[in-house]
Amino acid sequence: QDLPLGDSKKYTIGEIKVTGTTTYNEKTVIAYTGLKKGEEIYIPGEKLRSIINKLWSLDLFSDINFYLTNVDGNVADLELEIKEVPVLYQVKFDGVKKKSERDKLIDENGLKPGVKVTENLITTTKNYIENKYRKEGYFNADVAIRTSEANDSVGANKVNMVVDINQGNRVKISDINFIGNEELSDSKLKGTMKKTKQKNPLRFWKRSKFVRADYQTDKAALIDKYKEEGFRDARIISDSLVKKDDETIALTINLEEGNRYFVGNIDFLGNAAYTDDQLSRLLGVKKRDVYNGVVIDERIQSREPNKTSIANIYQNNGYLFSNIDLVETNVYNDTIDFEVRIVEGKEAYFDEIRVTGNTKTKDHVIYREMRTKPGQKYSQEAVVATIRELGALGFFDAEQLNPEFVDPDPREGTLSLEYQVVESGASQIELQGGYGGGGFIGTLGLSFNNFSIQGLFDKDAYTPVPMGDGQTLSLRAQASTFYQTYSLSFREPWLGGKRPVSLSTSFSYTRQFLFDYVNREADKSRSFDILGVNVGLAKRLTDPDQYVTLSNVVGFQRYNLNNYNTGLFTFGNGHSNNLYYKLGIIRDNTAFNPIFPTQGSKFDFSAKFTPPYSLWNGVDYANLQDMDEYQLRDDNGNLINYEGHRVTPENSVPDQEKVDQKKYNWLEFYKIKLAGSWYETLANFGGNSNLVLKTHAEFGFLGAYNNERGVPPFERFYLGGDGLGSYSLDGRETIQLRGYPNQSVVPLDRPADSRDDGAVIYNKYSLELRFPITLKQAASIYALSFLEAGATYDNFRDYNPFQLNRSAGVGLRIFMPTFGLLGIDFGYGFDDVVGQQGPNGWETHFIIGQQF
Amino acid sequence: EETAPKYAAAEKLYKEGEQEDNKKKLRKALTLLEKIEPEFRGKPQGERLVFMLGDTYYELGDYFNAPFQFERFLQLYPNSQKAEEARYKIASSFYHRSPKFNLDQTDTRKAIEELQVYLNTYPEGEFVSTANDMATDLRIKLEKKAYEIAKQYHHTEFYKAAIASFNNFLADYPGSPFREAAYYYRFDSAYKLAINSFQVLMEERLKSAKEYSVSYKKYYPQGEYLPQMEASLNEIEKKLQNF
Repeated sequence: QDLPLGDSKKYTIGEIKVTGTTTYNEKTVIAYTGLKKGEEIYIPGEKLRSIINKLWSLDLFSDINFYLTNVDGNVADLELEIKEVPVLYQVKFDGVKKKSERDKLIDENGLKPGVKVTENLITTTKNYIENKYRKEGYFNADVAIRTSEANDSVGANKVNMVVDINQGNRVKISDINFIGNEELSDSKLKGTMKKTKQKNPLRFWKRSKFVRADYQTDKAALIDKYKEEGFRDARIISDSLVKKDDETIALTINLEEGNRYFVGNIDFLGNAAYTDDQLSRLLGVKKRDVYNGVVIDERIQSREPNKTSIANIYQNNGYLFSNIDLVETNVYNDTIDFEVRIVEGKEAYFDEIRVTGNTKTKDHVIYREMRTKPGQKYSQEAVVATIRELGALGFFDAEQLNPEFVDPDPREGTLSLEYQVVESGASQIELQGGYGGGGFIGTLGLSFNNFSIQGLFDKDAYTPVPMGDGQTLSLRAQASTFYQTYSLSFREPWLGGKRPVSLSTSFSYTRQFLFDYVNREADKSRSFDILGVNVGLAKRLTDPDQYVTLSNVVGFQRYNLNNYNTGLFTFGNGHSNNLYYKLGIIRDNTAFNPIFPTQGSKFDFSAKFTPPYSLWNGVDYANLQDMDEYQLRDDNGNLINYEGHRVTPENSVPDQEKVDQKKYNWLEFYKIKLAGSWYETLANFGGNSNLVLKTHAEFGFLGAYNNERGVPPFERFYLGGDGLGSYSLDGRETIQLRGYPNQSVVPLDRPADSRDDGAVIYNKYSLELRFPITLKQAASIYALSFLEAGATYDNFRDYNPFQLNRSAGVGLRIFMPTFGLLGIDFGYGFDDVVGQQGPNGWETHFIIGQQF
Repeated sequence: EETAPKYAAAEKLYKEGEQEDNKKKLRKALTLLEKIEPEFRGKPQGERLVFMLGDTYYELGDYFNAPFQFERFLQLYPNSQKAEEARYKIASSFYHRSPKFNLDQTDTRKAIEELQVYLNTYPEGEFVSTANDMATDLRIKLEKKAYEIAKQYHHTEFYKAAIASFNNFLADYPGSPFREAAYYYRFDSAYKLAINSFQVLMEERLKSAKEYSVSYKKYYPQGEYLPQMEASLNEIEKKLQNF
């Protein structure tokens, strides 16, 4: 329907032409206008006007005009001239250095290549960015946006955009003025404002700045401070911000303190499950106490898992639907009476327990770890414990474990739980090759932390390795020109599936040939073999609590020497067997993320024994060297002395090799170790940012049943350095003590040139402060600083727990699921080690694969 | 243009690959189809092309891309002759994606849903009987999951949890092949819970175990678990005489 406008005339349309368009087909545009040749319209008229509006509303054009080009009688030719809005080719930011920040700005403002660059876009972008900086305290931020035609050969009508950001300096706060505070001093109030600080040249670790969001939090903290002191009615009447100059502002906060109140009568209403006495003990507030609103609120309502509160005891004992209110019933003079009104609701029981997201880990592996069971009374604690257990498995991203309540039904008293898990990579692969020790060394290591032995026989399970039964399988092979080592270990954490009884087995074999460094080849006729097998059973106990694990291991190791002299043995031919039983007790209630525990403790006690052969084998070890058969002889059986000259029986000398072979053919010893770690969160900076203190102490002792036979040169303690158990053929225990070279901290009273054959007693203490940088699934990173001290001793006569080698330093740990743990520590040793004068100084330690 | 011969080549490879079950040809077809598909958008061959693309993924066992393409196909050409096949193959893709019973069953539920959509839309359709078989298969899988979880509580001696789970199972899955075992293990859980109880709780629990045996016998008078159950029932009777 067309209508004439003003003194318009009716025409029949002749030709229609479109000019100025670059991207759209002429026909498309004409079709869009709806004008047809031969159609009758008024010029000017309602129809043309609405066409122009319609085109405008597309936001594609910056100029639209209709022209009459030729009029022949009442036939008019029309020209539609349009000017397209340019599209964005590239956007550049000046004044923003970080790429991530630039990308964020592009994202938030939709500045993708190809968008139409309208005036509106430019203005909103400018305002958006300026506001964004203001919110972070840059009051003088200034944004200018320029566009220029892009020299792009492909399509015309494109522009480049330059966003010039001048963020200026952050404004500082020159003064914070409080008005109306009489009971609390200015400085006390300023202290409660954690982020909004007045300018102070002496406080250089926290600069003064003004961030609006932080300021709001700080104002709330201010009121909380008053509430803690009993000023229940305190409020901020008004606050104002005055701009002093370009760089500084002043804040004025106008307060009304109100009166200080004290606690009057406390009544509990509606409680049937707990008595008034129990609840009031829990509340811990007495009559005439200062009315501390914050604490009272927390003791009553807090739902945080570790807080003691009335809400929590109800939540942990089935009362999911309980509701607890604090009502002030009477206020007189300076005293407040209040009631704790409790609606206990029906006790809730778990109906169904579900798991979703387990695309690899089988149901039974997850369900067996859960502390929440169908038909069981609801408990918040059990849910939290389940999350901890599932996180500790290491199969799921501990940061993304999410329990969800499904269909809570207050009338029936039931609810279902759904645990949403996210699988994380649980396998590690190590493949390396390189030169070392005089030749090429190749290593292949595979470690599957969620393996499935059952899946080995199921061809569908290879994706690419059978997974999901929670078993661990590691394989490792290392070979070079002169040695080979193979190891295989397997662990099933729930043998039989009934109880957490873990079965672990391992097998290892190492064969080493004497390497001739001159000819650079191995002498295959001289070798040293070690064979090791062990089987262990570990069981999680229910007494004294569920965190205790008891383990038993039986192991056997055989060392076989074939004309091969090592530092381990005084003999070059012969063998030595080590058959032992080891008992271990571990109590571990660290939580929640095994990579970065924030609370709990871990104790580890172990005792390792060999059979006391000397009790029954009747060998007189004390006099071995005097016996005839242990005297030094030449190849023909004639007695000789150390120089190789023949001697008479009275002058014979003992053959140390033979004596030692006899002494160590079956090793005889016992070993006790004790270690404890405590984790404590010192401060939380929001979310997962916990500053954690780890306190650690450990002690070890190696002894002999028979002093004549003595402590073998095996299984000893080597303190110092990174603590990585590299090349430990002799069952040695390497203990970390940063700030000193590896295995350098030998007993102090040894002579400077003594051979280091390890100590039989050691102790070590350490304090470590840890702070997470990120705890994402792809990589967990945390920084640490430490203080450590430790020492080793040759016997209890020398034992002095305070004569220690001390050190301090800083470090970094990175955990990636595919690589395990990597880290670097810089430690300074304050004390000297044997054979050296003065402090040991700085050491750098690389940590690989050692967890916790 | 030069896209026409490519289309012909792709179609030929697709047809031959499908007939001969030749993966190599199908993979070649896929590469071509993926490449030319955007150029045929809105053109008459587009309909056939999108279907072929989805079907090639399907034949190659890519059950993630196949339903996506078929879904697109149905959106673009809801009235196509091939709509029924596409609908069926979406469901079938999810059927193939459904993992073992002891893993997350989100895809299984999705498959059942899609099969139901197919069956409702084409009650007389070509694939109805296979679709029905698939749906039954998947339902049994879900039943097995629930049954095994309940059974694990029995195995790990959390008998109360086992009873609660078997109760849920029996209420949720009528007509399941695991029902008889569920009835029996519910009884067995109650029996074991009872005989390991404190004296004060035992009588009531023994009686409740007895009741569970009654419901087993009602449904399975010739049941395979009867001998074990009778032995346990004797024990129950003996103990009940103490009260």
